[in-house]
Amino acid sequence: MAEWFHSIADAFNRCFIEDNRWKWMLEGLGNTMIITIFALLIGIVLGIIIAAVRSTYDMNGASMKKKGGLSYVLLRIGNFICNLFLTVIRGTPVVVQLMIMYFVILVNVTNGVLVAVIAFGINSGAYVAEIFRSGIMSIDEGQIEAGRSLGFNYIQTMIFIIIPQAVKVVLPTLFNELIVLIKETSVAGYVGVMDLTKAGDKIRGRTFEAFVPLIAVAVVYLIIVIILTRILRIIEKRLRKGERR
Amino acid sequence: MKKVSLSIVAALLAAVMTLSMTVFAAEPAAVKTVQEGSLNIATNAEFPPYEYKEGDGFAGIDIEIAGAIAEQLGLELVVNDVEFGSIIGGVQSGKYDIGIAGMTKTEERLQSVNFSETYATAVQVIIVKEDSEIQSVDDLEGHKIGVQQDTTGDIYCCDDFGDDMVTEYRNGAEAVQALIAGKVDCVVIDNEPAKSYVAAAQGLKILDTEYVTEEYAICIAKENEDLLAAINGVIAQLQESGALQEIVDKYITAEEAE
Amino acid sequence: MDNDALIQVRGLKKYYNDGAVKAIDGVDIDIRKGEVVVIIGPSGCGKSTFLKSLNLLELPTEGKIIFEGEDINDSKVNVNIHRQKMGMVFQHFNLFPHMTVLGNIMLAPVKLKGISKEEGRKKAMELLRMVHLEDKAEEYPAMLSGGQKQRIAIARALAMDPDVMLFDEPTSALDPEMVGEVLDIMKELAREGMTMIVVTHEMGFAKEVGSRVIFFDSGQIREENSPAEFFAHPKDPRLQEFLSKVLI
Repeated sequence: MAEWFHSIADAFNRCFIEDNRWKWMLEGLGNTMIITIFALLIGIVLGIIIAAVRSTYDMNGASMKKKGGLSYVLLRIGNFICNLFLTVIRGTPVVVQLMIMYFVILVNVTNGVLVAVIAFGINSGAYVAEIFRSGIMSIDEGQIEAGRSLGFNYIQTMIFIIIPQAVKVVLPTLFNELIVLIKETSVAGYVGVMDLTKAGDKIRGRTFEAFVPLIAVAVVYLIIVIILTRILRIIEKRLRKGERR
Repeated sequence: MKKVSLSIVAALLAAVMTLSMTVFAAEPAAVKTVQEGSLNIATNAEFPPYEYKEGDGFAGIDIEIAGAIAEQLGLELVVNDVEFGSIIGGVQSGKYDIGIAGMTKTEERLQSVNFSETYATAVQVIIVKEDSEIQSVDDLEGHKIGVQQDTTGDIYCCDDFGDDMVTEYRNGAEAVQALIAGKVDCVVIDNEPAKSYVAAAQGLKILDTEYVTEEYAICIAKENEDLLAAINGVIAQLQESGALQEIVDKYITAEEAE
Repeated sequence: MDNDALIQVRGLKKYYNDGAVKAIDGVDIDIRKGEVVVIIGPSGCGKSTFLKSLNLLELPTEGKIIFEGEDINDSKVNVNIHRQKMGMVFQHFNLFPHMTVLGNIMLAPVKLKGISKEEGRKKAMELLRMVHLEDKAEEYPAMLSGGQKQRIAIARALAMDPDVMLFDEPTSALDPEMVGEVLDIMKELAREGMTMIVVTHEMGFAKEVGSRVIFFDSGQIREENSPAEFFAHPKDPRLQEFLSKVLI
């Protein structure tokens, strides 16, 4: 047992202290967080736009079809593009999307972290869009009627009345997406980005120690997720409090 | 004439060696392997011409050398294609008998495993675009360097130029793709695969000055000293007989002919 | 044509499933300024659909709705402008749960009329006094009773200074003891001269406040009369049957 501890301590020393290898872990953690946070921000913006287009089509498509005109044609095209986007993004692995982004679409962008942010942001947008859409659809139709009856147009009704309520509904699911996203970014190493996983790989490749770096990486992810889950619990509790109906 | 007599002597010597090896192989009990009757090798088959996938199987200099060793030891060759970074760990933990993957003997690696005698000498070269401003090793400073993760090129470049200047890709082909795409300014990689990459891709060249010269060896678990001795014996014999050079020539001339 | 008419409905139809279901099947009616028109009828007769089609919350299949001289069912007309002049009160209140009572009332005037928040707040407080709920200004709807919610909903609709108020079964979702407080507010409004169209089951309200009572059945107006005549001498056999059921 003592021998085992000694060998672990020795491995720990080689993995993190020697050559200041802990700095790789720190850099990797930083990149993982940067990619996750900015990707989620992109995802939220993209998701709201897609959800707005899709739910507008679902809710207003029929009445707009009757009126016809350019706005209906645009809505139909928008809805088609959104559906195509969702199908493609949700139907292909994120690693493949990342590689396509790095080697094909954003060929001129040399900053791998930026490419990863964009690729994961777009990927996340597809999932966030569906989260938001279900949130919007969960709001009572009477809320839209009330908004419209006061003279708000559809977009104003969405902005002032529906989306603020939908955000509350989707917040826990959205937070869950953040937790999923953090773990998904572990494939960023495929495009040469030094994320947390790759930092562990690099230490593994240099020291030929498998146990210590892999466990260390796993523990760091786990700690982040545990912290986020705690925050999620608090948010859920608060939301439930305000809901006393 | 001198040459002829020399080669006759060499051939004779080889014959003697082969005989002695055959005797050696007749006693499989001499070496212990992970799996009785088999020689399990670990490699990373993304490193042509040393090892790569061909059809359903594997090919390359290392694969053939491993095949020759297995044959000499009377064992069946089993190829395990794993990540480069996992090879030493796998050998150390007794998953594989040997690691053979264009691997250089380093002080660090020696802490974990034993290495055989050198079976090939490789040169780390620099691939650049034909119109690159990088003319020699001296120009590397301040440029973005692409490497294959965990290779000696990666380690040396990180030490020489700092982690921030080095982008590590999962395999050599991806590093070269990144060079073509303009993500990095050059790729530091072994000479042999570099030749095939440059031959296959458009607008790339290898700089005349090499980045570093290194020697490839086979890694073996520290406990298995019998196997180390046996492999060193086979390597010496293959070198004597010229079989080793034949294997290398087969791959390298083939690449150049393309 | 009556020059006093605030709303003129002509040939209004609302079909579902390509005409298989006829929710509104040819309705013509004029509503004059200051009138309180009460619409009664069995459930599922199309009266709520009719009310909601007046401000195009339900899009009519065909017909004209001429509000203040303009056909708002014309696709070239911006209906949002006209809706600002047509207040609506719903059966299920539809208050905005994420805003305070004050926020509910102020939202539309501030965002749509561009008045300052100060002005909006002043006006909202006036309306809250009118519905006797000024002490609830900072509460959230979830904390209010059904009757209180509906009174707030009326105040919210009034905040846009509408020319007509549409009531869609305003007391149907309320506990019996709360019906009175809502009807009182509506009577008060009627006395002040507000034009009102009320879909309801409250026959007492129809008798007391209605200028006209309309019996709606199978998507059509079956009978239309002054409250006294309407309840004393119903002519349509189905109205007779309906009244015999509700006036026990």
